[in-house]
Amino acid sequence: MENQEIQILLIEDSIHDAELTIRALRKNNVAKHILHLKDGAIALDYLFGTGKYTERNLANKPMLILLDLKMPKVSGLEVLEKIAGDSTTHAIPVVVLTSSKEHPDVERAYQLGANSYIVKPVDFESFSQVVSALGMYWLSHNQPPYNA
Amino acid sequence: MQSTIVKNKVEVTNDAHTNELAFQNEEKEKRAAELLIANKELAFQNEEKEKRAAELLIANNELAFQNEEKEKRAAELLIANKELAFQNEEKEKRATELIIANQELLFQNEEKEKRANELITANLELQKAEENIRKLNQEDIRKLNEELEKKVNERTEELKSVNSELESFSYSVSHDLRAPLRIVNGYASILHDEYNEVFDDEGKRLLSIIRESAKKMGFLIDDLLAFSRLGRKEIFKSHLDLNVLVSGAVEELKRITPYHARITIAELGIISADKALLTQVWMNLLSNAVKYSFHKENPEILISCEDTGDTIVYKIEDNGVGFDMRYAHKLFGVFQRLHDAEEFEGVGVGLALVHRIIKKHGGKIWATAVVDKGAVFYFSLPK
Repeated sequence: MENQEIQILLIEDSIHDAELTIRALRKNNVAKHILHLKDGAIALDYLFGTGKYTERNLANKPMLILLDLKMPKVSGLEVLEKIAGDSTTHAIPVVVLTSSKEHPDVERAYQLGANSYIVKPVDFESFSQVVSALGMYWLSHNQPPYNA
Repeated sequence: MQSTIVKNKVEVTNDAHTNELAFQNEEKEKRAAELLIANKELAFQNEEKEKRAAELLIANNELAFQNEEKEKRAAELLIANKELAFQNEEKEKRATELIIANQELLFQNEEKEKRANELITANLELQKAEENIRKLNQEDIRKLNEELEKKVNERTEELKSVNSELESFSYSVSHDLRAPLRIVNGYASILHDEYNEVFDDEGKRLLSIIRESAKKMGFLIDDLLAFSRLGRKEIFKSHLDLNVLVSGAVEELKRITPYHARITIAELGIISADKALLTQVWMNLLSNAVKYSFHKENPEILISCEDTGDTIVYKIEDNGVGFDMRYAHKLFGVFQRLHDAEEFEGVGVGLALVHRIIKKHGGKIWATAVVDKGAVFYFSLPK
């Protein structure tokens, strides 16, 4: 998996949420190559080739990062800050996916360079539509600044 | 010469005798002369006496007159004395009265002096008090102010921490409650979509209840959070053309939930209020009017307003199912519903939210209704 090209990197601590997101993306044929990492620390290792990802080919960058904010150890905001602060990663579009609009860090997330901030709807149908729409947008319609 | 005459007559008879006789005659004549003189004297004396008598008479008259005068004077004096006596009595009375009046004056003077003394004491006390206040002004008030400021700061900090606790609580509630709900709904949806053939009709019905309930609870949490967020939100007033705002709300409503009610909007004028919040008020009231008149054959909604001087009262009138006025007091409470949840969807937060917004603007909200005839919602906003 380390060196496989992936389209979407999903950073989400809830495996059930991740499963629903992946199902929604696959169901609508938005993306096939999705990598789910379940905390911020592992995600940073993956993005910067550290820890268990030292062997990874860093040229393989995800086309889109879906990021949950509320995670143990390294939070979504910290991950966002690292991504935005590093020249090798700052061009990757990041969509913050969160359970609630009550999060006090919405503004902070945008300041740190989040491209979008999406509140996951409770209703799976709506959720599925939202996730597909944003996947379609970033993978098919959006022209990234680098050759993916 | 007489002697000559007498001698001639007596020559005839006796010389001696003739002499005697002559003497006697002479005597008689002397006596007669004397008598004459005496008579004259007497006559004179009588005259004198008469004169005296007349004078006496006059004098008597004079005396009588004088007596009368004296008596008159005496009588006058008597009267004058009585008058004097009366006047004396009056004077005594006056004198008594004066004494009393003097005593009264004396008493009043004493009272005045007492009052003056009291005033002096009071003034002294006032001066002391003023001095104390001045002292207070200079030192204690500064101390009090400092203490107050400290307390205010402490309270503000407390409030801030309570507020942030509340915010993090709201976040937890919305995040942590919504996440499992999404899982419940999501997995039930997957079961429904991908394992459809495994379930019989009853199984599918049960699944859809799970999905719907989770969805509804999601709305409920969202509404509740919106309600609690409103408590912390500050309002930003601006001048709003309500006809523009309400028309916008009507269009938005049409987009979200298609309706067939006829909505008539009168001239609503301009009011100073928070745009986002007031839009929410109109959206909630309009969607209620649409929702509760949906089953009517010709649903009608009338929107108007009335200027009452200090405030403007807005009126949203529908010909829907109305409500029982006995429960009118429950209308604006959180999670209060006056209608069957099966018949009309909703979680019972909308009107509580509207109530809170209107209250924050310093207005009031109330409603009247007749079951099956319609409801009228009123809300007022200060000008």
